[in-house]
Amino acid sequence: MRTELTISDDKIDEHALLQKRVMPAGVGAAVYFLGAVRGTEEGRAISAIEYEAFHQMASRQFHLLFDEAGKRWPVESIRLVHRVGRVEVGEASIWVEVVAAHREEAFAACQFIIGEMKRVVPIWKRPVNPGL
Amino acid sequence: MAANSFIVALVRVRVHFYSYFKDLAGAAEVSECVAPGSTLEELLRILFARFPKLAAMRKSILIAVGVDYQGADYVLQEGDEVSLFPPVQGG
Repeated sequence: MRTELTISDDKIDEHALLQKRVMPAGVGAAVYFLGAVRGTEEGRAISAIEYEAFHQMASRQFHLLFDEAGKRWPVESIRLVHRVGRVEVGEASIWVEVVAAHREEAFAACQFIIGEMKRVVPIWKRPVNPGL
Repeated sequence: MAANSFIVALVRVRVHFYSYFKDLAGAAEVSECVAPGSTLEELLRILFARFPKLAAMRKSILIAVGVDYQGADYVLQEGDEVSLFPPVQGG
């Protein structure tokens, strides 16, 4: 299984990510999820979110999740980009792609990674109020 | 030195705080010394006394040593890098 992880304060370039997609013969499904910053947080308007990561541990925990996904489903590749620092409303904060032979395992693995990430990967967010 | 005296080398660890725990502790990292054989639970007791605002978070605190999660019964080793943080919120 091929994996790629990027944790960076650079903007997520979805176009570039899609151009680098690798679909070997025998692989028929690519599922990806893009998460963007909403304009409200707990009912209040915000202008951005500041993401903070414990980088070394986040990398370790993401790779443990990738390994677990690979054990549960026959996955060809996983690519994940998580942005840190200030992310404006409407900008992408996370992008995850799973490539697999069939859609069932691609959807399931993608959902698993996103769900578990919110439980174990040490990244936190701090909403930024409008005007700041 | 008296015949029944002995020296116990304390275990020194570094403690890192993340997210709003930095605000509660008023620092991003501190050093602590604990008795040999001490667990994370005993370290927490020391830290809660030193940083009372952290004690209010005891039920939701997550603990790692190095880059792996550990439970309260983990026995601390010299030079351990301990991290304390609130529930994670990525995505």
